[in-house]
Amino acid sequence: MKLKGHKINGGRVEGEAIVCNDAFSFLGDFDPTTGNCLIKSPELEGKSMIDKILVCPTGKGSSRGPLNTYRAMKLKKSPKAIVCIEAEPVLAAAAMVANMPMVDRLDKNPLEVIKTGDWVKVDGDDGIVEVIHSGNQSPFHQ
Amino acid sequence: MTKEEKGMLNGEYGPGIQRSMELLVKLGEAFGAERMVMAQSAHIHCAVSLDLLSELTESATQCRVTTTTHANADPNVLDPIGCKRIGIPESYDLYEFIHGGPWSKVVDIFKRLGYLLTNTCIPFYVGNLPKMGDVISWSGSSGVVTANSMFSASGSRDSVPANVATSVTGRVPSIGLTIKENRYAQVLVELDRLDLENFTNADYGALGYYIGGKTGSKNVVINGLPKTLTLEQFRYIASPMPVSGATSICHVVGVTPEARTLDEALGGGKPEEVITVGRDQIKEAVDKLTTAHSNEVDLVKFGCPHCSIIELRNIASLLRGKKVHSNVRLLVATGKQVYTLAEVMGYVDIIKKAGGVFTDCCLGSQDPFNTIGPKLGVKIAATNSARSAHYSARTSGGKIKLLYGSMKQCIDSAITGKWMTT
Repeated sequence: MKLKGHKINGGRVEGEAIVCNDAFSFLGDFDPTTGNCLIKSPELEGKSMIDKILVCPTGKGSSRGPLNTYRAMKLKKSPKAIVCIEAEPVLAAAAMVANMPMVDRLDKNPLEVIKTGDWVKVDGDDGIVEVIHSGNQSPFHQ
Repeated sequence: MTKEEKGMLNGEYGPGIQRSMELLVKLGEAFGAERMVMAQSAHIHCAVSLDLLSELTESATQCRVTTTTHANADPNVLDPIGCKRIGIPESYDLYEFIHGGPWSKVVDIFKRLGYLLTNTCIPFYVGNLPKMGDVISWSGSSGVVTANSMFSASGSRDSVPANVATSVTGRVPSIGLTIKENRYAQVLVELDRLDLENFTNADYGALGYYIGGKTGSKNVVINGLPKTLTLEQFRYIASPMPVSGATSICHVVGVTPEARTLDEALGGGKPEEVITVGRDQIKEAVDKLTTAHSNEVDLVKFGCPHCSIIELRNIASLLRGKKVHSNVRLLVATGKQVYTLAEVMGYVDIIKKAGGVFTDCCLGSQDPFNTIGPKLGVKIAATNSARSAHYSARTSGGKIKLLYGSMKQCIDSAITGKWMTT
């Protein structure tokens, strides 16, 4: 499935999705030394975000979030890209300083059509996100 | 873009300014900016990483706008003996891993660029005071909401890398609150029979905490506050708003320069929503901030945001000739410029003699006691800052419980070791 959206940061990558249903902050929700997610939920806590595609509604929290993505990039513990409903400047800067492609304002709600574990291609240059569902998690193969 | 801005982007001004301009241009494009605007002021978080700072400022000789640094370097600087006595480790480096290098090298770059090493969250008290219409790029959400609302400067929710980029390029992409139409209030707050004449700063803090929790990222206007509202009182209203909510601007009718009337604050339109705050709502906020079920106080803290000279005077006058209880730590946070004035005035001496300890670190999200407190047996902290109370409860993982009340209540509890409700 191809979703058309809006470029926040350029570049083309692909990887496994990690879906977070709440606004995300790289300060507090993410540990740049391990690359793990710190959100207290059974599906997310302790889960590695390294080389994943973060899917979330928007950003929130401290202006220092981008310092954590930059640090994670240097330690090779960073996610690969961000797909969100509506970007805000702190989450966008987090993507920019760590060279993560980022796309928002897609024609479908990414939280509804992307599941954790799905393979996702992110084209930040053209604002396109392609979702390739993994077998057992695909809503079309249940 | 102007010729000069294009030159920055093309690398004519060196690789750091080029990298900074690239970031600002990317942000501008992502959020639909039509152009770059000239900035007048920047304020930089001390937790900026050495490598990122180097990258964004490489070969830049001086910052282009007045730039100050935020709180959060080393808590021991102002009062090393006092800090040691109450258990703050000497080699405290909160951001060692984030800095990616020693703090002294960060300081070298700050100095080379002419960043004023104020290390405080109240830049407007120490030489970085924007006027109406000035465009700013600041770290610290309480400073941003104060600058937008009290001085009618234009500061948006910004990231630390963008703050650095603005300091060396003197530019901000025209997004967010730099655009007049984005500044008008969306939510109107009306006050219902509040006893404002006897309002303490803690009451104002509860008011802000309540409003932030109800309005999220919406622009707010408060109607019904006296025109004599002080900057100090407003700081107490404003500072908790971005933590219970995500407020960037809170107009006060008759006080905010661009909100001489309610109509002006609303841009001639109608509010999307009207909220009424009375005594029940203030109590609701105080109850939310009060998480302790015992009255045995271990820590009393003032200075989130950092104390003004008037607050230090008031603390000194309440503490004169008294002693802080042996079970209690009293921590007072302020910037070193304010501290120096308080020293001249004798306030520092009075507070220290009573057993108080000074720091210029942050007592909000980075309060050192949020992490070391539980190990030192600090279970209950009292404060008159809603912002500090909110953060302590969370960043200590609930291990520190809070008591919330006026400066007088807090000082009384520091002296007796017991919290008395009024």
